[in-house]
Amino acid sequence: MRVEVPRRDLTGLFLDRLAVLWRPLRNLGAAQTRVEGTRSLLTAAEFQEELAILGLSGRRFEPEDYSDALADYLDISIVVHVIPDSWYPELSRLLALSGRLGELRYSEPMNLAAILVPGSLPPLVLTLTILHELGHLAAGDLLIDPDDQSAEDDPELEEATFGTLPLKKGKKLARGYPFARESLREREANLRASYALFAGCLGDDSPHAYDMYDVL
Amino acid sequence: MAFIVFLCFLLPSRGTKFSIFAACNLFFVALMFGAVGLIDLAGGRAEIMVAIMTELPVVLIVAWVCLALAGGLPSRFGTLPAEPVARRPWLRTLLVSAPLVLGVSVGLATVVGLVWPSPAMRVYAPAPPQFFVLKALMMAPEGLYSGIASVVFVMAGWTPGLKRRFYYKNLAFSVGMACIALIAVESTIFAGSRVWFSGDGGRALLKTLNTLEACLAIVCILAFIAGLSLRYTPTVAATLLYRLQSGWLHAQEEFESHEWQAVSSGAADRLAHASRAVVEACHLRGLSTSHTERALATIRLVAVMRDPSSETQNITPDAARKLYELQQEILCDDVLASKISWAAGWRSRPHEPQTVKSAPLHDALKAALELVDNDVESEGERTPPLWYYIVAVSAADAKMIDPAQVSKQLRDGPEHRAAVEAYDSAKRSLRRIEDRD
Repeated sequence: MRVEVPRRDLTGLFLDRLAVLWRPLRNLGAAQTRVEGTRSLLTAAEFQEELAILGLSGRRFEPEDYSDALADYLDISIVVHVIPDSWYPELSRLLALSGRLGELRYSEPMNLAAILVPGSLPPLVLTLTILHELGHLAAGDLLIDPDDQSAEDDPELEEATFGTLPLKKGKKLARGYPFARESLREREANLRASYALFAGCLGDDSPHAYDMYDVL
Repeated sequence: MAFIVFLCFLLPSRGTKFSIFAACNLFFVALMFGAVGLIDLAGGRAEIMVAIMTELPVVLIVAWVCLALAGGLPSRFGTLPAEPVARRPWLRTLLVSAPLVLGVSVGLATVVGLVWPSPAMRVYAPAPPQFFVLKALMMAPEGLYSGIASVVFVMAGWTPGLKRRFYYKNLAFSVGMACIALIAVESTIFAGSRVWFSGDGGRALLKTLNTLEACLAIVCILAFIAGLSLRYTPTVAATLLYRLQSGWLHAQEEFESHEWQAVSSGAADRLAHASRAVVEACHLRGLSTSHTERALATIRLVAVMRDPSSETQNITPDAARKLYELQQEILCDDVLASKISWAAGWRSRPHEPQTVKSAPLHDALKAALELVDNDVESEGERTPPLWYYIVAVSAADAKMIDPAQVSKQLRDGPEHRAAVEAYDSAKRSLRRIEDRD
């Protein structure tokens, strides 16, 4: 995923300079990442709450419906480009060599998120890749300050909760803040994708959707 | 009576956490009324304490219901809020505040009652104005939260497309909570009547209100019993869903993405020519798109599995077999297998979505394993489809598999000869096109 930061006017430039000066001072007191708190990975039940907010809980839906509902909620435009290999043959090869399946670009000034995926991906992988990138948008992963990200040490799987980061600004769907570690953000985006696929297939047959209408 | 009904009819058949909690509260109320019958209550303060103790279980039930609707109960009692609450954060905050507000109101009422004692347990006795204050302090929040809960249940039941059972269930709980709200209003009016109305007229009014309260209490209990009795079992259990997600979905995504990466990065260099020839041969034999897709998926799998480069190391016969077995598990459950589907492309609704059975991968895995893995057991004397023969001939020609093994396996029958003929024609045709270019 890539984030395109907005171009600002002179005031913005001044504030940016100030922020650059302020950052080392802020980091004097904190050798580590500015962690907002801790939380555990997203559960299927928590994802069902997100679906309820989008108005999709208990309904069968396609990834396109999820994308549209998420775009409405976040008040941004989400464009998905499935690029046929014949248009740009190098895309598949470059992505495959880099070990990635898709690309998410986000432009703050244009309020636009673009997801690029090669058309040669197998249908299930294509669906999950798009849902994975949408998961990053839902989690607010693109709204964290790149300077706040922690060093990529291997997260201990025994840990129940992991450190999170504050957001710059903007709206997210998730209740919790994004994780400080990139590997955890990727893991959670994978989880969101698989929850979304099953929830969309099952509709009100999903046991988690059922729980929302049978609270007693 | 209510406790006995709960105990005899409901708990053995439907022991939810809430029904157990409600039964305990009803038992407590029954004990309190029993104690009042046996012990002579002398003094206003004792009466106040008993009156508050008998009201406490209702307050606790209202608090539990509000927390359950807001998803605020501890995780072992269930964590999800009701669907209408999840969409309205303000409603969630309001419902979560119920235990605190109700607790404070009961505390304040206790203080008022102890400072200014009144004949709380003597139903028709005239009471001082402080008794009205005491009652109103308890009943106003109780009525408010019960009313809100009742509306939320209606909203949950009213969701379009919801199963009828959920509709009736939520409607029943809504009626139950509405009855509690009405009882709270009625109790406040009753307390006011004891303060401001006396004589025969006042007594008649109190009797009428008392009868109304009894009726509302009966309806409330029956509504809750009806709501709790209505059961619905989801088609897919949460544990099965978790197993599918961490097992099959994870395995298939990993397998297909590794295969795609290997093919796209050009690891399986023998594949390009072989796949073109397979497609052409299928076309020459007039095979359907779905059969051609299966043939293509199989030749790709064979090429990747037989490629010695490091990029293809994750696509092994063992990984293919494991994925095939996981897919077979899903296919054993017809309902599940038909429900789990994915689109064949982005915004491609006119096309049929793929399922585990309809996607080419399932048949391709089996075919590729039969061709690559000599130890795999073939299903008796079953005649494979023509696309399988074409793939086998192509794979043998490209030296992906041993040609002698293929001849032995396919027994040189008419399908084999037809496949060889189609494949040779396809190769000639492709060569002509290449020469022309």
